[in-house]
Amino acid sequence: MNLATSLSFLYDYRLALFTGLGNTLYFTSLGLAIGLPLGFIVSIIRQSGHPILKAIATTYVEIFRGTPVLVQLFWFFFCLPALLGVDLGNVTSTITTLALYMGAISSESCRAALKSIGAEQRDACIALGLPARVSVPYVILPQTIMRAVPTLLSNCVTLFKESALVSAVGMADLMYQGQMIADSTARPIEILTATALIYFFIAFSVTRIVTYYEQSFLKRLKL
Amino acid sequence: MNGYTWDSSVVFSSLPQLMSGLAVTLQLTGICAVIGLVGGFLVCLMAMSRILPLRWIAVIFIELFRCTPALVQIIWIFYCVPFFFGIFMDPFTMAVLALGMNITAFNAEAYRAAIQAIPSSHYDACTALGLSSLKRTIYVILPQAVLLAIPVLLTNTIGLLQQTALVAIVAISDLMYQGKSLATQTYRPIEIYSTVAFIYFILSLPLSQVVGFCEKRLRARLA
Repeated sequence: MNLATSLSFLYDYRLALFTGLGNTLYFTSLGLAIGLPLGFIVSIIRQSGHPILKAIATTYVEIFRGTPVLVQLFWFFFCLPALLGVDLGNVTSTITTLALYMGAISSESCRAALKSIGAEQRDACIALGLPARVSVPYVILPQTIMRAVPTLLSNCVTLFKESALVSAVGMADLMYQGQMIADSTARPIEILTATALIYFFIAFSVTRIVTYYEQSFLKRLKL
Repeated sequence: MNGYTWDSSVVFSSLPQLMSGLAVTLQLTGICAVIGLVGGFLVCLMAMSRILPLRWIAVIFIELFRCTPALVQIIWIFYCVPFFFGIFMDPFTMAVLALGMNITAFNAEAYRAAIQAIPSSHYDACTALGLSSLKRTIYVILPQAVLLAIPVLLTNTIGLLQQTALVAIVAISDLMYQGKSLATQTYRPIEIYSTVAFIYFILSLPLSQVVGFCEKRLRARLA
């Protein structure tokens, strides 16, 4: 097995891998688009609100953080259709699971950010006589978002990585395509390594951005 | 419920098999957690050492395992390690290897973040008191770093418990695997998967309570 044949072998299967990558990115981005706002809303509900709503939000977050994503996927694939009596379709079930998981983990990040804002900020708002409709959007919210961005971004990477699990329920994402090609050609090393490298390349770049942001953010805090 | 009636007897009759799966899950989690706690610390020391090659190896190891999905790591190790190294281990050992290295990478980052979180004034104080670098590490930095790292290490362990569900995909008879095979045997996916989810949840919940408690104590201590 030499490098040239390995590379040409990979080149033959590039389209299949890219289709898989496309699906992975599609599931991830839809999961993010629904999950991030959901997480923010849930964190606000948990922070201040109706006791019943708060209990529902807490239960939701604890259930999705306390069970493996794989179990969640299987549950949504096999149990929800039977319970509702309607077939949701594979793509809908996948995206629903990923979005709900993302909502749960990012609500925790938002909550931590909300909590990390010092009481003196709120005291200062009161001292300056700012009403809530001014202090929330101009004082609390910008700081919350700024603090939550690094964790939210790493949550995005987590979701991207967790999305490989959808291959277990037969969705044709990058992992699924990689495994299929590996099984049918009996050459797992090239394909699986390439798959791993694609995941690595994307996740690593995002992680670098997070680190960069965190560092510039730390500088800003010290000013 | 659209014509689907909950059958509790399925849950009870499947419990023995689920419990045998749970034993495997707990065994995997336990062994890997220990590997992660010790290995993570060693890798963290390597990543912060002055010897460049050691540092590079550690950093590459950490980034590789943090930036690829755990599923890809497990599949890669199952398919490619026998090919590359010509060694054939039993599946359980391979799973321990994959999950152990994964948690090691994450724990190393947790330790590193904790060490970096120690304010530089402590280092200055050590210099002022004339402590040697060994004494500084052992008596000043280490105790604080371990304390600071505890919540993250525990969170990582909860994550590990949930990651172990992935080994079901490579046919290790853990809790998830037993759940899957029972669900197909009995045609009662709702009962089985809900029970499986419940078991994982019950295991994670007390651990996450402990994390919350530790964080509170730490905050009180540091304030």
